[in-house]
Amino acid sequence: MTTFFLILTRVMAILARIALALSGIGLVLMTAFIAWQVFGRFVLNDTPTWTESVSVLIMGWFIFLGAAVGIREGYHLSFDVFLYLLPDRVKKVLHTVSDLVVVAFGCGMIGYGVQLADATWPTTIPNVGWSGGTAFLALISGGVLLVLFSLERLARRAAGLVTARFGEVELPDEDR
Amino acid sequence: AETMLRSSDTHPDGYPTVEAVKYMGKLLEEKTDGRLGIEVFHSAQLGEEKDSIEQTQFGVIDLDRVSLGPFNNIIEETKVPSLPYIFRSIDHMHKVMDGPIGEDILKAFEAHGLIGLCFYDAGARSFYNSQKPIMSMDDLKGMKFRVMQSDVFVKMVDALGGNATPMPYGEVYSSIQTGVIDGAENNWPSFESSGHFEVAPYYTLDQHLIVPEVLVMSKKTWDKLSAEDQAAVREAAKESVPYMRKLWAEREAASEAKVKEAGVKIVSDIDKTPFIEAMKPVYDEFVTSDKLKSLVERIQATE
Amino acid sequence: MEYWILFGTFTFLLLIGTPIAFCLGVSSFATIAYLGLPPVVVFQRLNSGVSIFALMAIPFFIFAGNLMVRGDIARRLVALAGAAVGHFRGGLGQVNILASVLFGGISGSAAADASAIGGLMVPQMKERGYDADYAVNITVVSSIIALMLPPSHNLIIYSIAGGGRISIADLFTAGIIPGLVLALSLMVAAWIVARKRGYPLEDFPGIRAVGSLLLSATPGLVLVAIIFGGVRSGVFTASESSCIAVVYAMFAIFFLYRTMNFEQFRMAVSDAVRTTAMVLMVIGCAAAFGWLLAFLRIPTQLVEFMRDLSDSPIVILLLINVLLLILGSFMDMSPLIVITTPIFLPVAMEFNVDPVQFGIILVLNLGIGLCTPPVGTVLFVGCAVGKMPVWDVVKTIWPFYLAGVFTLMLVTYIPALSLWLPSLFH
Ligand code: NA
Ligand code: NA
Repeated sequence: MTTFFLILTRVMAILARIALALSGIGLVLMTAFIAWQVFGRFVLNDTPTWTESVSVLIMGWFIFLGAAVGIREGYHLSFDVFLYLLPDRVKKVLHTVSDLVVVAFGCGMIGYGVQLADATWPTTIPNVGWSGGTAFLALISGGVLLVLFSLERLARRAAGLVTARFGEVELPDEDR
Repeated sequence: AETMLRSSDTHPDGYPTVEAVKYMGKLLEEKTDGRLGIEVFHSAQLGEEKDSIEQTQFGVIDLDRVSLGPFNNIIEETKVPSLPYIFRSIDHMHKVMDGPIGEDILKAFEAHGLIGLCFYDAGARSFYNSQKPIMSMDDLKGMKFRVMQSDVFVKMVDALGGNATPMPYGEVYSSIQTGVIDGAENNWPSFESSGHFEVAPYYTLDQHLIVPEVLVMSKKTWDKLSAEDQAAVREAAKESVPYMRKLWAEREAASEAKVKEAGVKIVSDIDKTPFIEAMKPVYDEFVTSDKLKSLVERIQATE
Repeated sequence: MEYWILFGTFTFLLLIGTPIAFCLGVSSFATIAYLGLPPVVVFQRLNSGVSIFALMAIPFFIFAGNLMVRGDIARRLVALAGAAVGHFRGGLGQVNILASVLFGGISGSAAADASAIGGLMVPQMKERGYDADYAVNITVVSSIIALMLPPSHNLIIYSIAGGGRISIADLFTAGIIPGLVLALSLMVAAWIVARKRGYPLEDFPGIRAVGSLLLSATPGLVLVAIIFGGVRSGVFTASESSCIAVVYAMFAIFFLYRTMNFEQFRMAVSDAVRTTAMVLMVIGCAAAFGWLLAFLRIPTQLVEFMRDLSDSPIVILLLINVLLLILGSFMDMSPLIVITTPIFLPVAMEFNVDPVQFGIILVLNLGIGLCTPPVGTVLFVGCAVGKMPVWDVVKTIWPFYLAGVFTLMLVTYIPALSLWLPSLFH
C-alpha cells in the first residue's frame, strides 16, 4: 500500500471506531434511561417524562452512525445471488455503481437533513425542551460518514485493494 | 376533478373529520366547475400529525387535518386554545373560534408556510380509569394517567396531583389492563373506538380540554391557485364546518350510548371549580408573552 | 410511469448488490424526483421511520441475545433440553428443537437462535453419528420457533408497520400456541426421518441429572418468566420488556454466572450496534418506500384487484401466502414485513382476518423464507455452523419445510390458534 492509502485507512478506521464507540455508549445509556423510566413509574410513582424522547434521539444516532460503519465493514444486507453469475470484472463495475448510489443518498441525508433541521429549529421537543432541529443532527452526521466511507471504498477499489461485502469478503483486520 | 388535492388525516375512514374533508371536496368540485377536488389519505397513511405538518409546509401534500396540539411548539397562538379550561363549554369554544379570535389564530399559520382554513370539533377530553369513580381532585391523587407527549398535558396532570405518564397510544389498552397505568384521558369517540372503556370502566366528565382541530393548506399549493379558486377553497372549508359538527354530534352520541350500554360508570356532576383553580401554575408557565395574555383575556371575555 | 421508476430502480439496485436499505431509499428518491415533489420527504420519512419508541425493542433484544450467547446462558439451556428429551427417537434432533423453544423465548431472533444452538448442537450431533445434513436441517427450520415465541421483535416491527395500533402484548401472546404447534410438527418430522435413517436413542440421564441441569439453567429460564410475567402483571409494557431483558441478562452474567469480562461485554455491545443499525436502516428507508406506496395508492388498488379476483377469504389468504413465500425466498424478513404489511394487511382485513392473526401468519410465512434459497439468512447461518454447502443441506430439508408449511396452513385457516390465548386476557 502506498503512504496515501496507509494514512487514509488509518484515519477512516479511527473514525469508524469512534462512531462505533459512541453508538455503544448510546445503547448502554438507552438501557439505563428506559430502566429508569420503569423504576420511576413503578417504584417512585413519578414517571420521568424525558426518557422516551431522549432515548429515541439516541437511537437515531446509533442507527445512522452504525449504518455508515456498516458501509465500511460491509455488513449491510444485500442480494448477491445475481452477482455470482457475473465475471469479476463486471462485478467490480456494479459494486462501483452501488457505492456511487450510496454516495448520492448520503449527500441527500446531509443536504435535506440540513433543510429539515433548519425548518424545525424554532420548534421544541416536548418534555425535553431542546430544539426540534436536533432530531436531524444524527441523520446529517450519518450522511457525512456514509459519504466518506463510500469514497474510501471507491478509492480502494480503484487501487485494487479489497472492499468488504455482506456474505462475501471482510475487511482485513489491519484495515479495520 | 382535474386536480385532486391530497389531504392527510390520522383518523380512520368514516371519522367525522375525514368525512367532512371529503364533503368539502365535493363542494369544491361544484364551486370550481370540476377544476379542483380533494382526495383524503386517512388512517395516518402519510404519517403522524407532526410529520404531515412538515410535509404540508414543504408542499408535498396540499391539505392537512390536524389537532392544534402538535402546533403548540410551532405557532405560539395555538397554545391558547390548547390550554385546560380555557373554554367554559363546547358552545363557548364555537363562539370564540367562529369569531374574530378564531380568524386571528388562522392568520397566524401563514408565517409558517400554511394557510389556516377552518376549525373542526374534537369534543371535550375527560379522565377515565380502571380503579374507582373520580368524584373530586382528591381521587386523582397519585394515579398514573397516560398523556400525549406534550408539555401542557404533563403539567396539567401534575397540577391535578396525578402522575403523568407519556406513552405511545398503541400500548395504552394493555397498559391499563395490566396496571402499568391507571387510566388515560380522551373524548367520547376515542374512549369508545379504542376499546379503552372495556378496561377502564370509570369515566369522569371533568372536560379539562376542549381543543379544536384545524384544517390547513400548504402555502405552496395556495399560491398556485387563482384568486377565484382560493375563495372557493375558503368557502368550501367554512361550509364543511356545520356538516362536520353534525357528524360529530351523531358520533359522540353513538359512542356515549355504546359505552353506557357496556356498563361504564359515568360521573357527570363533578364540581369543576377546584380543577379550574388548580390550573393557575399551568397558565403561569405557558402564557408568557403579552400577545398570549391578551388572547386569553379576549377568550375569557367572550360571552 | 412512476410505478416503473419505483419498482424498476428498486429491482435494478437490488440485483447489482446495493445494500437493501439504499435500494429502498434511492428508488423512493428517484420516484419523488420524477413526480416533481420535494425529495426532502424521503429523508423526513427515514428519520421519522426510526424515531419510534417501540422500535427500541430491536436493539434491546439483539443486545440481550448477544449477552446470553457470550455469557454462556445459551449453552446451559441446550444442556437442559438434552437431558429432558434426548431419550426420544432421533434424540439430539429433538433436543435441538426443544432448545429452540427454550432459547427462542429469550432471543426472539431466528439468526441468533441458529448460530447459538446450531453452534452447540451440530458438532455434538455429527459426533454421535447423525448425518450433518440432518443436524443442519433441524437447526435451520427449528429457529423459526424463535420468531413466534415472545418476545419476537419481528412482531413489534409488524405492529409498527401496521400503523402502531395493533397491540404488541396481544401479538406476543398470539404467537405462543402457533410456536408450540410448529415445534410439535417439527418433532414429528424429526422423529419420522430419524426412524427411516435409523438414528440412535440417547440414555435418559436420570431425574437427578435433569434436576442439576435445570438448576444451572434456571437463571436463563427465569428471564422468560420475567419478561412474560412482567408484561402481563403491569410492571412494564411490552416494548419496555426488552430493556428489562438486557438489565436482567447483565445481572445474571455479571453477578450469578460471572461468565463475562469487560472486553466480551464491549464486543457484545458493538455487535448489537452493528446488527441493529443494519436492521433499522432498512426499516427507516422502507418508511420512505411505504410512504410512496400509500401516496401512489398502491395498497388500495391491490385491494380492489384482489376483490375482483375472488370473494372467498380462503382463496385470498392462499394467494397472499403463496406471494409471501415467493417474496420471502428472495428477501430478508424485516424489510419484507415493512414493505408488505401496508399492502397486504388492508386486503386481509377486508376479508375479515384479524390483524393479530395476520401478523402471526406473516411472520411464520416469512420465517420459512429465511430457511429457503436463494436468500435465506438463517439457512446461511446454519450452513456456516455445520460447515455444509447450501445445496447439500437443501436436498434433504423438505420434510421440515413440509412441517413448516403445514403449520402455516393451520395458522392461516384456524384463527383460534392465534386468537384464543390473547382473548383470555381481554
Ligand atoms: Na434449533
Ligand atoms: Na429465503
